[in-house]
Amino acid sequence: MSRFLVERDGETRVRLSEGMELTKSRTILAAVGLVVLFLVPDITRFTGLSFTAIHRGILFGLAAVGLNLILRHTELVSFGHAAFFGVGAYGAAVLASYFDVSSGLVLLLGGVVAATTIAVLIGYFVAGYLDIYFALLTLAFNQVLYAFVLQSSYFNSSDGLSVRPDGLNPPTLFGFQWTTSGYDLILYYFTIVVLVVSLLVMWKLVNSPFGRALDAIGQNRTRARFVGIPVEKYVWIAFVISGIYGGLAGGLFALLQLHVSPDPTLYAFVSGEILFMAILGGFGTLVGPVVGGIVLVYLLIQAPFYVEYYNALTGLLLIAVVLFLPEGILGSVPKIGAELARRRRDPGMLREDVATIGTSLRRAATRAATTVRIIVFGVN
Amino acid sequence: MTTGPTAGAESGGIDRRTLLKTVGGSALAIALAGCTELLEGEQESLENADVPDEPIESGLQTFTEGAPAVLGVQARYGAETAVRRINENGGIAGRNMNLDVVEEGGAHLTNYQQFVDEGKDVTFGPISSSGHAEMVPEIEAQEVINVSTDGTVTTLYEEDFPDVTYSFRFQNHDVMEALAAVMQAVEVLGADSIDTYAGINPGYAFGQDEMDLFSKGIEQVAGAEELHSGFPDLGTDDMSTHITEINSEQPDIVFSSCWGGDATLLLEQGHANGMFDSIELLVGPVLYGSANDMSEDLVDGPIYSGSRNFYWGEPSTDRWSPAADLVDEVQSEYGVVPTAHFMSGYGAVTAWATAAEKAVQLLGRWPEQDELATVLENHGFFTPAGYHTMGADHQGYSNAHFGELTWSDEYDAAALADVNVFSAESVSPPPGEVSADWIGNW
Repeated sequence: MSRFLVERDGETRVRLSEGMELTKSRTILAAVGLVVLFLVPDITRFTGLSFTAIHRGILFGLAAVGLNLILRHTELVSFGHAAFFGVGAYGAAVLASYFDVSSGLVLLLGGVVAATTIAVLIGYFVAGYLDIYFALLTLAFNQVLYAFVLQSSYFNSSDGLSVRPDGLNPPTLFGFQWTTSGYDLILYYFTIVVLVVSLLVMWKLVNSPFGRALDAIGQNRTRARFVGIPVEKYVWIAFVISGIYGGLAGGLFALLQLHVSPDPTLYAFVSGEILFMAILGGFGTLVGPVVGGIVLVYLLIQAPFYVEYYNALTGLLLIAVVLFLPEGILGSVPKIGAELARRRRDPGMLREDVATIGTSLRRAATRAATTVRIIVFGVN
Repeated sequence: MTTGPTAGAESGGIDRRTLLKTVGGSALAIALAGCTELLEGEQESLENADVPDEPIESGLQTFTEGAPAVLGVQARYGAETAVRRINENGGIAGRNMNLDVVEEGGAHLTNYQQFVDEGKDVTFGPISSSGHAEMVPEIEAQEVINVSTDGTVTTLYEEDFPDVTYSFRFQNHDVMEALAAVMQAVEVLGADSIDTYAGINPGYAFGQDEMDLFSKGIEQVAGAEELHSGFPDLGTDDMSTHITEINSEQPDIVFSSCWGGDATLLLEQGHANGMFDSIELLVGPVLYGSANDMSEDLVDGPIYSGSRNFYWGEPSTDRWSPAADLVDEVQSEYGVVPTAHFMSGYGAVTAWATAAEKAVQLLGRWPEQDELATVLENHGFFTPAGYHTMGADHQGYSNAHFGELTWSDEYDAAALADVNVFSAESVSPPPGEVSADWIGNW
């Protein structure tokens, strides 16, 4: 076996680094995913898909990856993660509006530092709480921040702040003032690099002893404490890391949108959406939240152009995911793949599928007829 | 105070020859002014122009749901009516026009970008001032013309973006309506009787801008003193603290730029808490935008409202047939009386469409975005509201209307009585001058 190929559990795996080994199919999937991400600008040019919508989706997906650290491993549900996304975005906007900082990377750094500070503070107060109390506390902190920004003239209330240091042009990236399309492209590729690095760091983290300890905390806090894990401290650290991801995503969002206002970044509904993204994409996977982010944001942006009652769409999608794909889009891929493979081996199963669908429809029709009979005649 | 004449008012209605001369004989311009029958068989031919066959694609973002929809839906009706008239009259240089409408919500920038991605030839909207300010740099970067229906903050083109190419605004900006309110107040009470004033305005860019300009104007003209200035959140469900404050201070005038659901809430809570017994006058530049949502008891009291650049009864509809035709058409098509926000949508589309046809006549082909933007500067055009110009500063200029809020049994809706019409020159500085400085030299 070469340096990059190892034999594990009876199959050949691709070794990316110490302890990071992917099966062949996963390696191919990851490579295809990466190539598709890099080709997005070209794909959108030829297909009419929205480049900005996908870029925004990736950023929200990155925030959802951060949220997923505490959701998946410590099993804590945060309803307030927009706080870090929003603070990251506002951190960049304040530097651009009030301090004339023109470097995009410095703005991003400012956003991350601001979000980290807030995550340290909020994390300190919420780390000791569980279940609904944890969820409500995170929501409450989120709302406090939202209300504060909305009332504050420093943050320009609901009008928000521009992220254009000179009032008209975007910040510089890597020392250059780019044209509009050049800026969008460079920022996109920079986002992809940040995303890949963030995913690798997260992978390392969850597969480290610290990650295992988080799993233990998620499964049973008392036992975790009993085996010597400093539970509150670890949850606090995980919360801060999760906040850093949110801040990073928010800072990049500010650089993309070039204007930050409270509603799209800090409102509690945004927290709900980030949570939904993780679930939609598959919170049991590393990359699932990114997929969920792209799908949901794309839907939220595009739906109003096609459907009048577009707000109902996300609700219907959530219902569909919970009922039919509880493991999310990416989380369900192995299951769907296995079922398809079974049907390739035994095509007779397709007939059974058709029969099952037929039976379900017949049952549904019978139930509906019964209900109508009861409504019309009062008795069945 | 002087009141400027509306087009044709002096002669008892515009005559056909004047109108034809003014608009250059364009059938489209006549159609959009609401006088389609005038040019039967006299249209100047545009057949030789090199114009593509495919329809013009346009997009409008406006509020279609929630409290702001009181204004937003009217803007939509206005834009749709203009597009319908354009297509019924042979299109713009032969090209029909399609209009997509989308809820502006908080997605102004995304909506504009999506319209550009879809290849729209022109975009219209939004209503929101802050959304408009957010969009302007993007419009300049994307180089696809946007004619804003509202988004009327005065500083936008005076200070924030004084040198724009592709961003335009049809509706009168805040200084015009705040100063129209000042003039109206002085006309009703007399400058000597106005000693104190207060304000309740929505707590964001538009409300703050309007209050600031009204304060400057009323202090300059009457030397009045401000007793209270409150900024409740947009879409709030309670203004009682501000009303209580006003009841205790008892100013002569209350100024309010509240609009949409906030305007009706202010009137409801004002009546419920006896505010109209404590003050001499309420002047609200955009109260009438919520005309279709007001009940008869709400308009009772010393309440005067602006109606921006359009009021359906002024000039009198028996003297000005385009306005009468429009009211009939809107009543039968949508079952509402058209307000100034109807004209926001109608006028934004009309400004662009008439400029586009003018550009085709000048160039002999369909114009590029930058060529059309040049033609739009200093472009004059008619709508059923009268004559409008698009200034060199990209700001639309029209007459400003103000009158006493009353009730119309005929339309079963709020109406304005004793309407004053203020010419654009009397309520706004010339392009290139800053409003605050200009008011200081009144």
